[in-house]
Amino acid sequence: MIALLIANSLALASLLIMLSSGLALIYGLRDVINFGHGAIYMLGAYLGYTIATVGGFWLALLLVPILLALLGIAFEYLALRPLQRRSHIEVALVTLGLGIIVGQIIIYIYGGEARSVDAPKILSGSVTILHLSYPVYRLFLIVMGLGSCALLALWLRSTSSGLYVRAVSQDPSVARMMGINADRLSLLVTSLSTAFAGIAGVLAGPYLSVDPGMDVVMIVNCLIIVVIGGTGSIGGAIVAALLFGFVQVAGSVFLPNLAALVPYILLMVVLLIAPGGIGRGRVLG
Amino acid sequence: MSNDAMMGGLHEPAAATFGGSISRRPLAIIVGLIGLATGAVVPTYLASDFVLRLGGEGLLLGLLALSVAFLMNQAGLVALGAASIYGGAGYLFAIGMSDWGLTPTVALGVAFLLLLVYSAMLGALIVRTNPLAFMMLTLAAGEMVSHAVLLEGLRDYTGGADGLVVRINGSVLGVDAARFTDPAQFWSLAFVVTALVGLAFWGIGRSRLGAMLRAIRENEERMRFSGFNTFLPRLIGYVLVNVVAAIAGFLHVLNAGFVSPESLGLFVSTNTLVAALIGGISGSLGPILGGLIFSFAQDEFGARGLTQLLTGIAIVVFIVVFPRGVVGGLSGLSKRLGWRRET
Repeated sequence: MIALLIANSLALASLLIMLSSGLALIYGLRDVINFGHGAIYMLGAYLGYTIATVGGFWLALLLVPILLALLGIAFEYLALRPLQRRSHIEVALVTLGLGIIVGQIIIYIYGGEARSVDAPKILSGSVTILHLSYPVYRLFLIVMGLGSCALLALWLRSTSSGLYVRAVSQDPSVARMMGINADRLSLLVTSLSTAFAGIAGVLAGPYLSVDPGMDVVMIVNCLIIVVIGGTGSIGGAIVAALLFGFVQVAGSVFLPNLAALVPYILLMVVLLIAPGGIGRGRVLG
Repeated sequence: MSNDAMMGGLHEPAAATFGGSISRRPLAIIVGLIGLATGAVVPTYLASDFVLRLGGEGLLLGLLALSVAFLMNQAGLVALGAASIYGGAGYLFAIGMSDWGLTPTVALGVAFLLLLVYSAMLGALIVRTNPLAFMMLTLAAGEMVSHAVLLEGLRDYTGGADGLVVRINGSVLGVDAARFTDPAQFWSLAFVVTALVGLAFWGIGRSRLGAMLRAIRENEERMRFSGFNTFLPRLIGYVLVNVVAAIAGFLHVLNAGFVSPESLGLFVSTNTLVAALIGGISGSLGPILGGLIFSFAQDEFGARGLTQLLTGIAIVVFIVVFPRGVVGGLSGLSKRLGWRRET
């Protein structure tokens, strides 16, 4: 029972990690919370649905991140860079507006009803581990989530570009003085963030449903996670995503009537204890 | 991080653009009263019921926009959860009458007190954070209320996705309930309320509270180190704007006769934001005008889906191209043409 609970919350947390670490990365470099992140995730899910019905799930998992990384590059050049001198609040509002536009265009194209995506054959069905039968697809989600977590940590900890990203997040002006090109790093980070959101969208297809409200649900979840984790802290975001996944899953098991409110209760409790979130003090990593 | 750059071009520096000399004050009061009476009465003779209905909705949106703009301009805080107070007011009022058996006036008072307690508690939690986190948290709190209304266990109270029809027996605060549903009488009432709230916000902006809020907006740390309490002014400001959102919510439910989950949703909050941005947030006139413009534009551009798309486009366009909104833009233009003294 406990094992099942943990496995289920890890599966959910995997998606949340991919999304909220992307949010935290952009915040670290640009001081901007991307309120359109949920819409990018939704775009990933719908693009994934279309590509999966034509060419299969694996093609979608390959193509969608590439397409969305290109979108991230456009986002960097058309929105983040020109608005660099504007206030953080204004840029955050612009991303909110862009998110609404993207979400509405998707609804205009695909209509209002929910779509379902089938998992590929190799990932459907379930396996038995330690007398416990568990869906293969969720195991795949966990592997993807933990894998991306490990890659992210490896990149930030042991490559020079990761070091630069951490430096700019810690102190942009000193980092610039040392000759780090923050604009080029931001391009990298933004496209990485949107690509991860795209992967999360494709992965969400067979697991959650693909529907018009998914962007709002996910952006609110991610904002809660980013606040719990401490704005801009990737380590905090990852821990918060795990915590969030656990209370969400445990809530739906033990408090089915109140499940929708459990994440908010978690948020309130964390804010009461640590107003700055659990990753306070460490900007990245 | 300093808040110096937080709000950028959205607000004007607090120049006393309206500050006349003291001797002109009685004249200003008379002109103001005439303007108030004219705005409240004249349209009810000129406009059709349909236009008045749209106008009434526009005023309610303008009231909400006033509250959002006040907090944005004075405190540098963007509240994305205005709708949860607006819709929540309607729900509490309705539940007070139908489930707790209260008379309309008592139900209104109880609902108001509950909202006051809720916004004070929420405010105490969230005004301590930085402006970006505040924005995220108000969005999350608003979504929490939307989820709470749809909870299966509360269905008997809230009516789930269908919402509640609100039947009012007798009078509210001494006013016959039927008068709120008549478009002409509602316009007059809403106009007076909106104008008074606008005036109140204008005054508060010039009071000590306004000055403290702006100082905290500019540099919270410096104010704290100078020995000022930076928490309380923000909390008072937050509760104050929620009081206005609640008033708008009560007026809405008295006028429309029902509450639905839509009135709580994110879309109402973003519409409010757009209304404030269209009019311009630095002042009281802008948000009210923005609410009216939004309401008539929404009618003009019809279909629901298209409205949302335009809302998104409006947010981007007004922030990037016209950060000071219609009123701010016009006043800038009049200054440049030399119609008004530089201050």
